[in-house]
Amino acid sequence: MARWGMVIDLDRCTGCQACVMACKAENNVPAVGMKEAVRGRIISWMQVLTEEDEEHPGEVRRFLPRPCLQCDDPPCTKVCPVNATQLNSEGIVTQIYSRCIGCRYCMPACPYNVKFFNWRTYQKERPGQNPDVSVRPRGVVEKCTFCHHRLQKARERALAERRELVPGEYVPACAEVCPTRAIIFGDLSDPNSEVSKLARSPRAFRLGEELGTKPKVIYLAEGERHG
Amino acid sequence: MARWMRVGLVGFLLALLAGALYAYGQQLTVGLAVTGLNSPAYWGLYIVNFVFFIGLSAGGIIVASLVHAFGLHQFRPVARIAELMAIGCLILATLFILLDLGRPDRLLFLFRHGRPQSPLIWDVTVINIYLFISLTYAYFGMRADLVRATGQVPRQRWLYRLLTLGYTDLSPRALARDQKILRVLAVVGLVTAVALHTVTAWILGLVKARPGWHSAIIAPLFIVSATVSGLALLLVIAIFCRRALRLPIEEEVIKALGILLAFSIPVLGYFLFAELLTVLYARDPAAVHVFEEMMHGRYALVFWGNLIFGLLFPLAALGAIFLKLRRRVVLWGGLLAVPVIAVVSRQIPWAPPSLLSGVLGTALGVHLPPRTEPLLLWLVGLAMLLLLIDTRWRLDTRIGIAAGLVVIGVLAERWSIVVPSLIGHSLLPYPPAHYVPTGMELIIVGGVYGVGGLLFALSAWLLPLVESEAPER
Repeated sequence: MARWGMVIDLDRCTGCQACVMACKAENNVPAVGMKEAVRGRIISWMQVLTEEDEEHPGEVRRFLPRPCLQCDDPPCTKVCPVNATQLNSEGIVTQIYSRCIGCRYCMPACPYNVKFFNWRTYQKERPGQNPDVSVRPRGVVEKCTFCHHRLQKARERALAERRELVPGEYVPACAEVCPTRAIIFGDLSDPNSEVSKLARSPRAFRLGEELGTKPKVIYLAEGERHG
Repeated sequence: MARWMRVGLVGFLLALLAGALYAYGQQLTVGLAVTGLNSPAYWGLYIVNFVFFIGLSAGGIIVASLVHAFGLHQFRPVARIAELMAIGCLILATLFILLDLGRPDRLLFLFRHGRPQSPLIWDVTVINIYLFISLTYAYFGMRADLVRATGQVPRQRWLYRLLTLGYTDLSPRALARDQKILRVLAVVGLVTAVALHTVTAWILGLVKARPGWHSAIIAPLFIVSATVSGLALLLVIAIFCRRALRLPIEEEVIKALGILLAFSIPVLGYFLFAELLTVLYARDPAAVHVFEEMMHGRYALVFWGNLIFGLLFPLAALGAIFLKLRRRVVLWGGLLAVPVIAVVSRQIPWAPPSLLSGVLGTALGVHLPPRTEPLLLWLVGLAMLLLLIDTRWRLDTRIGIAAGLVVIGVLAERWSIVVPSLIGHSLLPYPPAHYVPTGMELIIVGGVYGVGGLLFALSAWLLPLVESEAPER
């Protein structure tokens, strides 16, 4: 069974936000409007966080693209009272919108704040949306799923053509569009895949490693700082 | 209480409820967007109140069990009020869960698809067990009086018949059996009450992502604050029953409860201090972030207000009342301490910086020199203390004021635990967070308080709140 993972090379990230926009278009992530955005209710499955570099204040800004980190020991699924969010057999943390009761317990449970809530009806189904991704109703939690629908599609295509899934056939939208190839996606269970090799790099680190959540999104530190 | 006052009060409560029904209608049609909640202030006033009322409920049963489980019979006149308070507060707490859900239409999923690993499911389970036990407890405690009332108040006979469930035996044997059942239920109820509030604390305490919640002391801390707030609210209600409804509750009972409260406040203070010291001494950056937010952030006033007017002041007031300190002694003692405080407050680095001077300064346009706040607070507290130990006021009024402050203080404490932990820290560089409850949110919360008032009015109107006679001994 595959274990899908992602490596994000911070040295290559330019902060261009292409991944953010691709994610929004791919996953029907709603634009909440200015009023809601000011109130802190932006929904952005993929988000580029910016941070002032402590060593070069005012000069260097560091970028941190942040999808759902798809933890192997996800704290959010542990607390869900109704099994609406689960770790599936391929390591993707899913959210079932028709099951979620909107208690929002998984949201504070996530140390990375990657879960988002539909505080009001942000969108209805309409032409122009991606038909492969359901539009979320009011009152439920939503999150990045590593573009899980793309995996399903790729797998169906492979099945129809009576062959195995080829590496690189399934890639989330953010990894696909990244112009600097800062986001690499693949199967962590295959030791020869590009992600596995990069994940073994001395520059590799995970966010909040001390929390023991075992994220499957692995970052490569900036070379300047870590050799 | 005069008739017009009763009508006015119930009218006011109904108005609160009507306002809340309208606001909740808005919340149902628009969504939780009508509240001030956002990312990362995922939880706010509703959950604060949920935890608060769970605490009051557990506190109620803990006090009631003193009578039947530990044989402290001097509290017998308030035992039934405590039981009913426990049931009422539990109903309000469940209302707050319902209000907080994004999809209240899926409430029953909690039973249909319940996942036993979730602390929320533990809470739902314990709430149901607790509700059943406290209802049974109240039934056996009240049954004999209800049967007697059937004969005395013919107009409401149907209601009392219904409430006795047809078990009308008043023979000494039946009454003795009631007492025996009550003793067992009191012990079971006590255990369940502790479980109830422990599990509620674990909803927060088991979340490792929020350093302000993730603490082993949170469950015992919640049990203590439940007992303190339960005692304090019981005092307020008992004093109201005694003065306004003229129910036969002796002043001795109020005094005994007040002394119990005075002794339990320092225990709560001890737990809070242990928690604060552990975090501030270790200086774990994430936790310190949260505590900075709590003590110096936007809601610092809530934290310090609770510490000073919810804990220290009521303790001093109760102490002065029960030790029968003279005003002159308190006045001179308080004034003599002024230079000491003036000197010491300059040395304390963690005194609330520009908290009051900020608020007062902008309100009055006055610039206060830095670090005068402890002194100011001391003088305000001293003035209030002098008012409270004025012997012209009746004893129970004074105890009631102190107890009321404690209740509000514990609500403030719940806020200081829930909210700053959400907005005060994040692992990743997110923009600064904020949370301000909206008017809609306040109206809805006010309406639930109104429901609480109406439940009390209803039980005061229909039920015998104080046991009619001492049972056989």
